[in-house]
Parts: sequence; C-alpha cells; structure tokens
Amino acid sequence: MSRRDNDDIIDPHTVTRRTALVSLGGLAVIGVLSSRLYYLQVTKAEDYTVLSDRNRFNFNIIVPERGRILDRNGTPLAVNRQDYRVLMIPEQVKDIDIALDNINRVLPLSGGTRERVKKDIKRNARFIPVLIEDHLDWTTFAALNLHAPDLPGVIPNVGQGRAYPYKGIFAHTLGYVGTAGPDDVKADPDPLLRQPSFRIGKTGVEAAADMRLRGKSGKLKVEVNAFGRIVREWPSVEDSPVPGEDVSLTIDADLQRYAAELFEEESGAVVVIDVMTGELRTLLSMPTFDGNLFVSGLTQADMKRLNSDYKRPQFNKVIGGGYPPASTFKMVVMLAALKEGIIDVDKKIYCTGKTRLGRRNFHCWKKGGHGPVNMRDGLKQSCDVYFYELADRMGIQPIHDMAEKLGFGTRFDIGIKGQYAGINPDEDWKQRFRGDGWRMGDSYNASIGQGFVLATPLQMAVMTARIANGRRAVSPNLIIGQTLDGFAPLDIDAAHMQFIREAMWSVCQEPGGTAYRRNGTGIPGVDMAGKTGTGQVRSISKAERLSGVMSNARLEWELRDHSVFVGYAPYTSPRFAVATLVEHGGSGAGKAATISRAIIQRVLERDGMQAENNSQDIKKTGPSQL
Amino acid sequence: MDTSGAGTLIARLYEVNWLLFALVYIVGAIGVAMILAATDGNWGAGALQHLSRLLVGGGAMLFVALINIRFWYFLAYPIYLFALLLLGVVDFYGVEVNGSTRWLDFGVMRIQPSELMKLAIVLALARYYHDLPNWRVSRASGLAGAFLIIGLPMQFIFRQPDLGTTILLVATGFSIIFLAGINWRVILGGIVTAAIAIPVFYRYGLKDYQRDRINTLWQPESDPLGASYHITQSKIALGSGGISGKGYMQGTQRSGEYVPENTTDFIFTVIGEEFGLIGGVGTILIYSVLIGFCIYLSLQVKQLFSRLLILGVTITFTLYVFINIAMVTGLIPVVGVPLPLISYGGTVILTVMLGFGLILSAHLFHEVELPRGYI
Repeated sequence: MSRRDNDDIIDPHTVTRRTALVSLGGLAVIGVLSSRLYYLQVTKAEDYTVLSDRNRFNFNIIVPERGRILDRNGTPLAVNRQDYRVLMIPEQVKDIDIALDNINRVLPLSGGTRERVKKDIKRNARFIPVLIEDHLDWTTFAALNLHAPDLPGVIPNVGQGRAYPYKGIFAHTLGYVGTAGPDDVKADPDPLLRQPSFRIGKTGVEAAADMRLRGKSGKLKVEVNAFGRIVREWPSVEDSPVPGEDVSLTIDADLQRYAAELFEEESGAVVVIDVMTGELRTLLSMPTFDGNLFVSGLTQADMKRLNSDYKRPQFNKVIGGGYPPASTFKMVVMLAALKEGIIDVDKKIYCTGKTRLGRRNFHCWKKGGHGPVNMRDGLKQSCDVYFYELADRMGIQPIHDMAEKLGFGTRFDIGIKGQYAGINPDEDWKQRFRGDGWRMGDSYNASIGQGFVLATPLQMAVMTARIANGRRAVSPNLIIGQTLDGFAPLDIDAAHMQFIREAMWSVCQEPGGTAYRRNGTGIPGVDMAGKTGTGQVRSISKAERLSGVMSNARLEWELRDHSVFVGYAPYTSPRFAVATLVEHGGSGAGKAATISRAIIQRVLERDGMQAENNSQDIKKTGPSQL
Repeated sequence: MDTSGAGTLIARLYEVNWLLFALVYIVGAIGVAMILAATDGNWGAGALQHLSRLLVGGGAMLFVALINIRFWYFLAYPIYLFALLLLGVVDFYGVEVNGSTRWLDFGVMRIQPSELMKLAIVLALARYYHDLPNWRVSRASGLAGAFLIIGLPMQFIFRQPDLGTTILLVATGFSIIFLAGINWRVILGGIVTAAIAIPVFYRYGLKDYQRDRINTLWQPESDPLGASYHITQSKIALGSGGISGKGYMQGTQRSGEYVPENTTDFIFTVIGEEFGLIGGVGTILIYSVLIGFCIYLSLQVKQLFSRLLILGVTITFTLYVFINIAMVTGLIPVVGVPLPLISYGGTVILTVMLGFGLILSAHLFHEVELPRGYI
C-alpha cells in the first residue's frame, strides 16, 4: 500500500453527509407512500367500496315455477314434475373417468353421454355442476343415492321438468317447452330467458299462453368470489319469484281421450265444439306424439321415427290440415241456392248417375243414379247431380260468399299457431293463384266439396256449429279467459237454416239417409243431425306407383278416400257440434260417422253429468270455483 | 473489546444487537398474521411455513452475525464471483417458471442466484469503495470498476427476465456509488445521460409484457381483466378498506380471491383492506423504524466496508419495501417485488435475513480493523 492510497481513503464525513441525504430521500418515500394510501383509503374510499361491493355481490335470477295447463274440469294436462337426475361437481372428483365408470355400474352411460359430460366439464369452471343424466326412474335414482357416499362429487338431484301426463293426445294443442333460442332472447330482453333451467313455450298453448304461464323471476343476492363461486346467499323476501298462473282450456280431457281411443290406429282429426259458446271440448289430431320427448330435447332416433311416419304424427291436422270437405260442403251450396232463390225446394231434378258438361261427364257417387230428387233428398242421399245443377244455375260466387259466412277460408282466434286457412275458391282466387279463368266444371267440383275447396276439420266443425246455432257466427275458443266479444249475427235466413237442419236430421234419423241409424245418438229421445262426406284423394300418378317409393300397404292406404262426418245434437236444442275426419278411412258413412256418433253420445252424457257435479262443487268449495 | 474480534462465543452473543433482531421478528410476525388471513385462517396453507422460515432465517441471521466481519470482507469478491457464476449457469441450465428463467434446480431445493447477488453486489461494492482511493471515486477508472460490478450481474438478471430485481440491483448499486461521495457534477451528468438513455431502453430493451405492464399503469381501467387486473383489484381492496379497515379476516376482496397472489407480492392489499389506512401506514412506520435503526447502526461503525455494507443492505431492503408498496398502490408498474419479511416466499426471507446478519456482524465487529488493497 502506498502512502498516497492511505491518505486518500474516502472521507467518513462525506459518507455521513450522503447517508443523511439518503435518509431524507427515505423520509420522502415514506411521505409518498403514506399520502398515496391516504388518497386511496380516505379520499377515494367510497368509490372503491362501491367497486368492492360490485365485485362481491351478484343477483342470481330464480326461475319461477311454470303454471300448469288444466282442462275445463281442472284435470292437469301439463304439470311440473320432479325430475330425478344426477350431477357431477368436477372439482370434487379426483379422476373423472373413474367416477364415470363407477356411475356406469349403477346407471349405464353411453359413449356419447361420457363425451358430452367431459366437454361440459371443460367448458365451465370446475365448481359448476355438470348434468350427467336426467329423467331417471325412481329405482335408478334410489340406487344412485345409496351409492352416493362412495362417489364423491356425484350428486343425485331432484329438479323440475315439464311433464304431460296424457302424453300424446294433447301434444298438438299444448305444444311443448324448450330452452330459449337466440331468436327468443333477441325478441324478449327478460334475463329470465337466459337462465339455463328456464323453459319457454315453443308451440301450442305453451307458446300462446307463455306470458301467463311463465310467472315472474325472483332475485337472490349472492356473494361471489372472483371466479363466480357463491360464497354466501342473502335472501330477501320481496325478490322471491312469482309462480306462473295456471291456464285452463275449454277441452274436456276425458272426452279427448275417448275420441283418441275411438280412432285406434287411424289417422285424422276430431273437433267437438259447443254451438253456443264456441268452446272446444275436443281438439284432437291423430296419431299423436309424446310431448314429453321434446322437453329435454329429442333424440335423433325419436326424430327420425316421427319424421318418417307416413301418418305424420307431428302434423296438427285438426287445425293445420287442408282436406276436401266433400259432401259436408253441400249444406253451404244449399244455403247459397236458397238465398239466391234459384230453385224451388220441391223442384225435382232427375239423377241418372251423371251429368254432361261440354265433353266431360260429372258422376254422381251412385252409379245408377237417384232418379228424381228434391232438395231435401238431395242432401239426405247426398245426390251429386242435384248439386251440379245448383252450381250450374248460380255459379261459384254465391257458394263462395256463403262458405265465407260459415267460416271457410278463415283462421280463428284460438291462440295457438299453425292454423291453415284452407281454400274457399272463387274466380278471383283462381286467377290469382292458378293464373287461369274459372270454368263451370270448377263450380261443379266445388258444389260437392271437391276440386279446389280445402278446409280444416276445425272449419268443418265451425260450419256445423253455426248451422246448429242458426243466429250467431260462433267462433271457436280454446283458452278460458281469452276475451270473447260476443259473436256477430250470422245473417242467414232463419227459415233456410231450419230447412237445412231438417235435411241434416233426415240424413241421420230417416231410413235412406246416408248416416241413418235407428237409435240416433244412442240416447233415447235425443236425435242428431249431420252429414257424411267422402273425400276423393288426388289420383296418384303412374310414375309414383311404379317408382316403388311407397310400400304396397302405404300405397293402398294413400289411395283410399277420406272419411268425413259433421253433425250436431240434440237436434231439438243443439248443444254440441262435431266434425270428424279419418284420413283414407273410406266412406263418410263408415268410420267418421261411427266415431262421431259415439263422441256425441259421450259428450251429451258427460255434459249432463257435469251439470250435476258443478252444482255440488259450488256447495263444497264456494263461489271461487265459478 | 478485542480488536481482532476474537472473544468468546458467549460474549459475542451478548454483544449482538438484539433490538434489531426483535424488530425483524415484529415485521415477520405481521407476515405470519397476514398470510394466515390471506389463506382464510388455514395455518397449514402458508402461515406455519412462513413462521418456520422466519425461525430458520433467524438462525442463519445469527450465524452470519457471529462471523467476524474480516471474514466477510475477504469473502466479498469470492461470493460475488460465485453468485455471478451461478447466474451464468442459470442462463444455460435454469428452470423456467412463469415465462422467466430464474431458478436453479438442485433436486432437493431450488435457488434463485439473483437473490444471492443482491447481497453479493453490496458486499462487492462495499469492498470496492473500501479499497478505492478517494481521488479515483469520481474518475472514469473508479466509476468503471463500480459499473462493472453492477453491470455484469445486471445483464444476466435482465435477460432472465426479471425487471424487479434488475431495478433493485441498479438502484442499490447507484446508491452505494452516491454514498461513496461521487462528485455532484458526475451525478448531474449521469442524470442527463439517463434521461436520454431510458426512453431508448424502453423502446428497444424491454420485453413486450414488461412494456404492457408499464403502459397499463397509466390507464389501468382500459383493460380491467387483462394486464391491469392486478392493479385495479388491488386498489379496490385498499380503497374499500377505508381508514380502519374491514377487520381481521373480514376482507371481501381477499375472501373472494379477487386479488391474485395476495400471499406473496400483493399481501399489502390484505393489510390495507382489513386494517385500513391505520394498518397500511402503521406497517410503513414499522418498516421505517427498522430502516432508521439500521442507518443509526451504520453511523456507529468506523470501517468504511462495514458502513457501506450496512447501508447497502438497508437500501436494498428499503427498495424492496418501497417498490412493493408503490406497485401495489398503483404508483409504479407491477414488477414482481415482494414485501420483505411479510410476503410468503422462502428465498426472499433468506436473502433479507442473511442481509440483516451481515448488518449485525458489521455492528458486532465495529472495532475490527480491516486492511485495504487486497483482492
């Protein structure tokens, strides 16, 4: 070490001075940090408290219980049933595969289910329960509960699901529910729709009365952590959910079931309507499908089966199917003729079995002809030639106008969607939709309810109800409580109506009538009136026949005529009208008339019974039942 | 007292500054309590381990304290070179964690050479200025040595990348240069140079995520769930604590796990939320007492090496505290510096307590004459 080095050691005083400066800097740092804390924790404290609460609290929406759908007697048609299901909370499960294997021993899981479960687990936070399987039967559910202690993270759970106790027979009318789709959410901003357990009405009454059935959502204040996990619940009374209203239908469940039984394997539709109030006692389309299948989402197999069935179970024929009304349309033509005064009711027309128009023959259904036929016999025996003559004399317009008065070509306000307006043709219609002029032959065809004329079974029932009522344009209604502003006057001459009703009576009650039975409705002293119809099916082309697309059984079936019957009873003081259509059921005097007669008998019996029951109910439960 | 620093072990134990020891443990106790709160009162989830680390660290601290300062003086450069070597090894063989390579895995334990370097650089600079003739302090030759000591580890650590430790090292190093009495004109020149160099460095020397963190600092609300989520949630936790806090174990930001890493870098938010301004400023004051006491001790020692060693360690410790709290309160970007003795994490506790051990040793052997000029 040199001397110079030793002398030249760093001066300790300098270091001390600098230390003091650094310490001053330290004090400044304390000041800066403290004032920063003061700014955050005092000046801005309120803002940050609000933000902290916003972090901390969420409002969870509680889905209200959906209202039930009842029939006119309070029998439930759509209910909420406890749905047994099994869930898994992934974070409580060590190994998902082993857990699924363990469940598999009690509840067999398909490969597809396993894949879906794993996908769901990946998609969500690990504490969110994932559905493994729902709609379990009680035995399986009980077995799972028994094994639950050995299966950590696997939770047997009871949820709520929509159920339709009658399965098929109300499926078309009630519709079904499902999770709200993107369009539903767009149309309705209610956050309820975004809840995974919420079900919205998709079709039928479920859709039509959805707002009433839905109820009002509740709110639950919950404390959540950064990942959305609920730490605590803060229940408050005013935010509890309001359950949906029950909605009652005019339908009589027992009658509907009876009608379905009468149909057996046939395809078609039945309507029973109150001729005074328009209440639909039965609105049935056959065959049916199980609405329960749609609630949890249809399987591919079910969908395929439903879509490939040539009897089209999903199609709501009763309001959506257009059929030739056939001879049941003859009342319309007669009323039009009477209004126009083109023929005397006693004037006889000679039926040889056919009429010639130009170069074409128009046949009567009876090969040898009816001989001389007046108006009453024309309807009673359903003589086509007589009606060709009427059409020839007045043309299509009066028929069209009368048909309109009686409800053809009309969509009725029954709430549910899927109604077909049918076709009530006239010259304008043909010009617009067929691009062709009206010909007399078209009028001939229309006069026997064929050709362009198409009507739904509901329209045929409404026509019958209006004829039975005679004074008011009765319209159908389905959902009790939907306002009805009385019915408009029908504006058809009462004498003409009486004439038609007598003629319809003769169809059912006089020997020689197409639907004659000695005992009428089957109830002693109660007569019925009605009209048969045999709807010709469009001829199937040679090509179709040769292509072999259709099975022989199906081909044969599809070539058969539709069997139609409309009627009402009791004849003297009408109460109910019925319209029955059996697809490819043969002549109207056969299946449709038989079914209709049985239904009329049942509805009259039940109505008498109901009146007694109601009076007892009032005594028992007080006026609230009214 | 024996100037050679001999004397019996009992005598040495008696001479150890137990007040500093106690202050260290007061801060450590705050750490145990807050880690316990941050883990919902679950002793096994960190608090117990923190406590045991404090005890082990205390043993190490005492061990270092009882070793003669001469020994540390002679070992200053070897320790520094060893730490530098380890940093070099990390560069080649390090274990990558969270996108940066800071760890060396020895099977039984992982160590972070950059932590060792924090003490090594203080030792090396203290020795350097102890040996350096005064006339060279502000000369280029004198500065070059100091810069070399700072620069070599700095470039390794910066490459890991570890912005927090880099800043810590550079700031500590410059502070020691300042303490050594560098000329004010040189300081002014340095500031001007830095004013030019820093923007250039920001543009070309930083990784994207480091730039992101700095950028979001100025507009934390622009991206509430992204890079600035830490700062936003941390300020909410502190702000909602108010003056007196929500109460011990009552923090909702904490219980809701809104503030990530709230047992480690962000533990100050738990203090601020549950004990409010009183708890936050109180913690700062307790740190200040500890720091102030260390500065006081530095004035008691005569040897330049000892003095610079005490001040260097103290400055490192202070910078830890300042950078962490400034980061948590949103004053500076999130750079990943823990709150010493309070944050959960073994390496930092060990570094800091070894550092305090050096301070105690320097104080215990303050009468020992140290040679000059050795390398």
